[in-house]
Amino acid sequence: MERENRFWQVILLALPLAIFITFVIWPLANSFYYSFTNWNGFNPDYDYVGFDNFLKIHTDQLFLNAAINTALWIVAAIVVPTACGLSLALLIDSRIPGGSVFKSIFYLPICLSAVVVGQIWVWIYQPDWGLLNTVVEAVSGEQFNYAWLAKPDSALWSVIVAWSWQQTGLSMVIFLAGLTTIPEDLVEVCEIEGARALQRIRLVVIPLLAPATVVVIALNVINSLKGFDILYTMTGGGPFNSSDTLAMHMYNESFKKYLMGYGSAISVVLFLIALIIIRLYFRQLRKVDALHG
Amino acid sequence: MIRFNRHWLLAAVGVVPALVFGGPAFAQGGDVTLTHYFTGEFGLKVFNEQVVKFEADTGYAIKNSPIGHEDFKTDILVRAAGDSLPDVFSYWAGARTQFVVDSGSLHPIDDMWARDGLDNVVAKSVADSATMYNGMRYLVPFNYHYAGMFYNTRVLADAGVTDLPTTWDGFLALCETLKGKGVTPIALGSKDRWPAQFWFDYLLLGTAGPDYRASLMNGSAAYDDAEVKAAMAMWKELADKGYFAPNANADSWTDASDKVARGDAAMTLMGTWITGYWNGLGLEAGKDYDFFPFPPIADGVPASVVGPVDGLVISNDGENRAGAEAFLSYMMSNADVQASWTGAYGALSANVNVDPANYNEVMQRVSAVVAAADNFAFNYDLATPPPVAEVGLSMFSRFMDDPSQVDDILAQVATDAAQAFGE
Repeated sequence: MERENRFWQVILLALPLAIFITFVIWPLANSFYYSFTNWNGFNPDYDYVGFDNFLKIHTDQLFLNAAINTALWIVAAIVVPTACGLSLALLIDSRIPGGSVFKSIFYLPICLSAVVVGQIWVWIYQPDWGLLNTVVEAVSGEQFNYAWLAKPDSALWSVIVAWSWQQTGLSMVIFLAGLTTIPEDLVEVCEIEGARALQRIRLVVIPLLAPATVVVIALNVINSLKGFDILYTMTGGGPFNSSDTLAMHMYNESFKKYLMGYGSAISVVLFLIALIIIRLYFRQLRKVDALHG
Repeated sequence: MIRFNRHWLLAAVGVVPALVFGGPAFAQGGDVTLTHYFTGEFGLKVFNEQVVKFEADTGYAIKNSPIGHEDFKTDILVRAAGDSLPDVFSYWAGARTQFVVDSGSLHPIDDMWARDGLDNVVAKSVADSATMYNGMRYLVPFNYHYAGMFYNTRVLADAGVTDLPTTWDGFLALCETLKGKGVTPIALGSKDRWPAQFWFDYLLLGTAGPDYRASLMNGSAAYDDAEVKAAMAMWKELADKGYFAPNANADSWTDASDKVARGDAAMTLMGTWITGYWNGLGLEAGKDYDFFPFPPIADGVPASVVGPVDGLVISNDGENRAGAEAFLSYMMSNADVQASWTGAYGALSANVNVDPANYNEVMQRVSAVVAAADNFAFNYDLATPPPVAEVGLSMFSRFMDDPSQVDDILAQVATDAAQAFGE
């Protein structure tokens, strides 16, 4: 019986493992390999160029621009959905009328694909008839046709707003789950002792939400590293590379300039960055587990 | 009642991957695999009708995989990288095809061309410029386009315009007249960057001529040359005078076309595919819209027209070469297919047997303009290697965002383009 179970365990694990190796490990290994070549994607003949592609990264202004944007993107992806999610969770947890309805509404965007969210916000930002400019015009009484996604100063931030709008619901739900673990009598004691609402949140609720916060931050970081599709839909990295992230820069170099070797080198760098972040995450997770059990 | 036991499970484990990964194995025998970018507003329905004619007349079956225009550029590269190119795919003649030929991914079609007598079918000017790469033929010119100034007839009539410009000064006067009447003269949708290239092409060709432009495209001239600066200065003059609709980088080419169709702007510099798009919206050629050629600028410079050639090519990886050659030859030689396709797609046929009367009145005049031109030039992103084209296309959208930065932009592009040519 045990042998038969073992047989089925191997069989059932073999298929997902084969798929994982085919679609994740094998392409990853290929990226490492091609990052040391000058392959253009079409030509079966290419040369080994050593570390040339990685040295080129140091002088590539577009890479620097994309790296800065990626850093901004990740920081914003941590701060905005986390702060908004926490605020909404506290508000809904305070038993406001219709709280469960608001919870469903705020959670809804996470059920949509990033491409759909991107397209909705493209329409919202449309300069001539988009919702945002129409509201600004109605409030100010003056013509306003700022092209949010077509201006280099606002393109990336406009996408971050759209991204945060989608991700906030997920953060909110995790914080709401975390709030249920905080003993009500502890909060009541603080209230009796005269602590004001903000003091109770700052000194009691937020520290006790640490496990949930770590999960929220980790998810936001990991999701932000995958945030290619919404950028591709909304700006394509434009205008003129102003909203490029490293993932978008890698795509442009590989598939638009046909520099597959250099694009692979960028993907290797991106992989290492993701690896460092995930390692930091696990270390932090262990600390929180040790603290809260 | 079917009971699912371990045998079912094992069968599923075996069969599902076979179906998922073994797909291409079914595309054999009389099947010809085809991938193309003639989708959506680019005429998928009409293209499919031509494919059905081919299948009925030849007995071959086409495994048809249309992919959106922009996604196609990535998809074909991914398939080339995976040695899984289809038997036949559409591709843009010029530098992009040259790039694929240099990579050894295409099958030469000289034998087919000679056997099927395509010298007597394809217009010599198009055959010379679009089909030959490294001394051999690789592409049949399925159709070609011309970029011209397409306008809303009602808007110009309402502004009192009766004479269309035939000189640069006349064009500036037209823009001034329209602006004076409160009409935005020009719509440009450069969100996807490429629509702006036609302005650069015509201004450079009209001032520096085709020889200099060819030098710039192959890297023997630089983007901070006086010739490029002069062309960009003329473009800047148009922008500074407020002739372009605001926020060009926020609009796609269809957005800009819609602005002209609605009368929010008077004209747009666009390829003839705009006629297919407008016809699809119910606009009538000659009545609702018309065109005039980009006006000549400097004396003594050969008259150039600009446009892309949509080609069909055969991959080296293909499994059904006979079927692939039959498809290319049929789609190029069959005058009925060419007439139906180009008429609906808003394109011109390179098949000399297609009766020009097949075109609507606007396209008939377009055809005459192209025939009378001294030079047919591929548009910018098909005339220069892809890595350089990326640099230039970004330059155009950066310029449209802030024309006052033109000198800085050109200096940067000169450096970046030189580096891209070296890659």
